[in-house]
Amino acid sequence: MIQLQSIKKSFLIGKEKINVLNDINLTIEDGEFVAIMGPSGSGKSTLMNIIGCLDKPSSGNYFLEGDDVSNYNDKELAKVRNESIGFVFQQFHLLPRLTALKNVELPMIYAGVSKQERRERAVEALEKVGLSDRMDHLPNALSGGQKQRVAIARAIVNKPKLVLADEPTGALDTKTSKSIMEQFRELNEEGVTIVVVTHEPEIAEYADRTIMVRDGMIQSSRFERGL
Amino acid sequence: MSFMENLIMALSSLKAHKMRSILTMLGIIIGVGAVIIVVAIGQGGEAMLKSQITGPGNTVEIFYQPSDEELRANPNILLQAPFTQEDIRALEQIPEVKRVVASGTKASTARIQKKLADVSVTGINQAFLQLNELNTANGRNFSTADFLGARRVGLISDKLKNELFKEKNPIGSIIMVANQPVEVIGVLEKPTGLLAFGSMEIYLPFQTWKIIFGSSDFTQVTLQAYSAEQLQTAGKKAASLLNKMHNTEKSYQVINMEEIAQGIGQVTRIMTLIIGSIAGISLFVGGIGVMNIMLVSVTERTREIGIRMALGATRGQVLIQFLIESMTLTLIGGIIGIFLGWGTASLISFFAGWPSLVSWQVVLGGVLFSMAIGIVFGILPANKASKMNPIESLRYE
Ligand SMILES: Nc1ncnc2c1ncn2[C@@H]1O[C@H](COP(=O)(O)OP(=O)(O)OP(=O)(O)O)[C@@H](O)[C@H]1O
Ligand SMILES: [Mg+2]
Repeated sequence: MIQLQSIKKSFLIGKEKINVLNDINLTIEDGEFVAIMGPSGSGKSTLMNIIGCLDKPSSGNYFLEGDDVSNYNDKELAKVRNESIGFVFQQFHLLPRLTALKNVELPMIYAGVSKQERRERAVEALEKVGLSDRMDHLPNALSGGQKQRVAIARAIVNKPKLVLADEPTGALDTKTSKSIMEQFRELNEEGVTIVVVTHEPEIAEYADRTIMVRDGMIQSSRFERGL
Repeated sequence: MSFMENLIMALSSLKAHKMRSILTMLGIIIGVGAVIIVVAIGQGGEAMLKSQITGPGNTVEIFYQPSDEELRANPNILLQAPFTQEDIRALEQIPEVKRVVASGTKASTARIQKKLADVSVTGINQAFLQLNELNTANGRNFSTADFLGARRVGLISDKLKNELFKEKNPIGSIIMVANQPVEVIGVLEKPTGLLAFGSMEIYLPFQTWKIIFGSSDFTQVTLQAYSAEQLQTAGKKAASLLNKMHNTEKSYQVINMEEIAQGIGQVTRIMTLIIGSIAGISLFVGGIGVMNIMLVSVTERTREIGIRMALGATRGQVLIQFLIESMTLTLIGGIIGIFLGWGTASLISFFAGWPSLVSWQVVLGGVLFSMAIGIVFGILPANKASKMNPIESLRYE
């Protein structure tokens, strides 16, 4: 479960302090599929970074699985990212010199998984996203949709409870976007909590709930489907 | 994350920029290679110098240098041969002494029919043959019977043979040495080498020499010890024994090997210091090259660092990754440098006729030192990598 309590985030630009997030209060239950929408610059990515423990709030408290991670140090946050959270990015963010399989193995290297188990689990994850025949390809030799599937496989390989995707379909065509969203849907049905940032209403439709962010505040939180 | 995995990762990222990695290594390769060359040749030279001073086969010569008082008391003392046969027998009793090589030399003339030549005539004891190679080009060498029977036989140098006999075979001819007949039994080999002109020489068994010149004293005495370690003791004992027998204070002397070894050691230390500082500077420059390239690499791979952090790499793990990468770079450079230096040193010593010596200590030192350079100069870039902000790194283009 994710609980954000009066989260504020501000950045210093020169001497000027700009408030990007203003008093965010949000709860996301285990197993939810949430879409975050809002105009450009409204603070969606900033919010995702805080939820993903890549950034710390300027004030407020963040409880993840009941633990107050807003007080965690860098090392503890790295452990949380490694074990409890999977990231999917708009630009895929695969390491270009590693094959699909090695890219998927990366999070397990930092988790200290043995070489053999790493390989087995990476193969399993790639099979799950339907890429068992592309395992030894370098990212350059994969299409956008395939790259994003590798990224999803990498995000789920450590079996996190939460997968965060910041505009995962932003660089893909409509058809590919749909199949990627189907993939998230499938994961969600297996019990993984999913939070997706998107600009497109059709993408948000895959989620159970849509959260609208405007000027660093949550404007509305509306359920698309009955829970 | 294990060291091996880090190493494999480092190798693959170095391989991704082959040219750059090789060029960066070049500084380390040249630095380490130069050190190995200089050290190898220096150590080889030191070993050669020491063996030359010690003499081949653990030998040391005994010098006679009369004190001022002795010279005042007997101004002709230097004309007399300093070693008696008694001395030789006493020296042979010293336990560390294996052989006493003794010889006496006098300037005289050799004549056959009307041809006359100025020669130096050397009487030698049998031990002399064991240490000095008197190889005969034709005829035979001295036998034990020649020494024991004081036979009137002699070996002549190649130059003397040319002077007295021209093209004729001298073996069996009788020549007059200091007006006494001596049979020529052999001709010595022509001395080799560019600057060896040879000299007019005759060698006789010592007893024969003694009869001809009416002198029983030796002018040169060289000791041979059983081992290099015993040589110093043997020399000291011999000198004090002779001084006691002749009632002198320190007229009989041997070269003090320890002092000379110390002197050589001092020279070597100064050389090492100079070379060390030059090598240090060149390796420092190489290290800065490594640091520079690693900084570029860290900046270029900002996004990779961001991705790794997002996937759960701690700052420590990122630091270690880049440290091992720079260490791998300098280690490979160092190993190549060692082999290159080794090869070059062997080549130089092959052509210069000067031995080279690459000890395992030097190799180990080279390996460890190049690793240390990688770590020292890798700290700054690795630290920069580990301090990166994951979000900004992910956004980096
Ligand atoms: N590190 C930073 N330093 C200064 N300002 C920042 C920083 N990160 C974000 N901002 C600012 O915060 C605001 C929100 O940025 P954010 O990336 O969260 O927006 P977004 O909702 O994700 O927009 P988009 O839909 O375009 O991705 C922007 O005005 C941005 O300029
Ligand atoms: Mg954004």
